[in-house]
Amino acid sequence: MVKLIHSKKGDMQIQQMAFMIVAVFIFFGLVGLFFLNIQMRKLNTNADNLQTEQAISSLQVIADMPELSFSRTETMTIDEDKLLIMSGNFSDKYKDFWPVASVKVYKIYPGFSETIKCPAQNCNYYEIYDNGQKNYKEYSTFISLCSKQRESNSIFDKCNIGKLVVGVKIYEE
Amino acid sequence: MKKKSGQFNFGWLFAIIVGGAILFFAIYGAMKTGDTQRYQSDTQVARSISILTDPLQAGFSQGSYGSIHFREITRINNLCYDNGFGRNDLSVSTRSDIGQEWNMPGSEASVHNKYIFSPENIQGKDFYVFSKPLELPYKIADLVFLISDNYCFTEAPEDIVSELSAFNIPNIQINNCTLPNQTKVCFVYKTGCDILVNTNDGKIIKKQEELYFQGRALMYAGIFSDKRNYICNTKRLLYRGQTIAEELIKKSDIMSSRGCQSSLKQDLVSWKLTLNNTSPDNLADLHNQLVEIENKNEKEQCSLW
Repeated sequence: MVKLIHSKKGDMQIQQMAFMIVAVFIFFGLVGLFFLNIQMRKLNTNADNLQTEQAISSLQVIADMPELSFSRTETMTIDEDKLLIMSGNFSDKYKDFWPVASVKVYKIYPGFSETIKCPAQNCNYYEIYDNGQKNYKEYSTFISLCSKQRESNSIFDKCNIGKLVVGVKIYEE
Repeated sequence: MKKKSGQFNFGWLFAIIVGGAILFFAIYGAMKTGDTQRYQSDTQVARSISILTDPLQAGFSQGSYGSIHFREITRINNLCYDNGFGRNDLSVSTRSDIGQEWNMPGSEASVHNKYIFSPENIQGKDFYVFSKPLELPYKIADLVFLISDNYCFTEAPEDIVSELSAFNIPNIQINNCTLPNQTKVCFVYKTGCDILVNTNDGKIIKKQEELYFQGRALMYAGIFSDKRNYICNTKRLLYRGQTIAEELIKKSDIMSSRGCQSSLKQDLVSWKLTLNNTSPDNLADLHNQLVEIENKNEKEQCSLW
C-alpha cells in the first residue's frame, strides 16, 4: 500500500495561488466592466449627438418636403391645406418615412392660451407624426403657414406665423 | 530530498498556465475592443453621411454640391430597398491590414426620406455629393448623387455644360479629359465612351445595359449609379409621386370647398394611375402627359403646386 505524503507547505502554496488567480481575474473583470461602462456612456452620448444633429438638420428638410411645402419658390413655408391632410389618416402611409420621433406644427400667431388639436374649430396645433416614444427632446424652428384664399374674385396667399417642432428620442441611462 | 536545479515545480507550471491564459485573454480582449471600436466608428460615419446629405438637398435651388473627405480609403455600401417608400441602407467599411481587403461594414443607417444614387459599393478618400430636384411635374424629391470616380462629359448640351460648370465638382471634367481612370460620358456616339446618353429618347447605355430617364435629375441618376440602384430608387420615386398625387387630389377638394377651384383633379387622378403603371423602363412615355399637366397647373389661378 502506497502511503500518500502530504506537504502542508505545498497545499498552502496552491491555495495562495488559487486565491491570487481568482483575485487577478476579478480585478481584470472589474477593470473590463469599468471600461465597458465608459464605452457605453460614450456610445450613448455619440448616439444622442447624432440624433440631435439629425433633428436639427431635418427641420428644414421636413419643412421643404413636397408633402408639406406651400410653394416651390419659397423655403420654410408650409401649406396649411397639406397640413390638414397630413394630420389626418393620410399620414399613416408615412409611418416609417420620418427621420425623427415626432413632427408637430403650431400656429403661434394669433396667440392662444390652450392648444387645440386640428382638425377642430379654432385649432392651433397639427400632429403629423408621433411614434409613441415617451422620453424625447424637441427642437423647433419658425415657419410661414400659408394657404391660397379667394375673396371677392381675387386670389391671394394668406400666411401666418407657425412653429415646426420635431422630437428626438433620448437614451435613458 | 534535494531539488534538481532544472526541475519544474508545481508553482512554475501553474504560473505559466495562468500567465498564458491572462495573456491570451488580454490579447483577445484588445482585438475584440479594437473591432468594436472600428464597428462603432464605421456605424457613426454611416449615420453622419446620412445627416451630412441633409443640407446638400437642393431645397428650392436648382441644385447644390458638397464634399465628404476621409483620412483613409473608405468604402460606402449603398443598398436600396423598394417596398413602398423604400429606403437606402448606408454602411461604411474601412480597409483592413490583415486578411480580407475590407473589414466587415459597420451597422447600416437606414434612410427612408432620401434617394441616394451611387454604385452599390463606392470607395475612395474623397466623395462628392450633389443634388437636383425631381419634378414630375410637381416636386417629388431631391435626388442625391454620391460620386468618387472621375468623370468626363464630352459634347454635352449647353445647359448641362453650364450646370456642371457652375457646380465646379473637382472630379467632373467637361470636354477636356485629363483626370486618371475617368469614366467618359458621351452625348454623341464615339468610340471609347463608357456611358452614352441620348437626351432625345431619354436613354443611357452603360456596360451594355440600357437605363431610361425622364428629366435632367434622373439623367444624372442614371449616369452616377448602377442599374440595380437606379431601378430601385426610381421605383421608390414613382411610389412617392403617386402618394403626392393623392395628397394633391385631396388638396384640390379642400381648396374647392372655400371657392378656390382647380380643374386639375381629374388629371391628377389619371396621372396617379399612370405612375402606378409606369416602370423604370418606360419613363420616357410620361413626357406628354407630364407637360400637359404642368401647363394646365401654370394657367390655374388656384394652382396646386
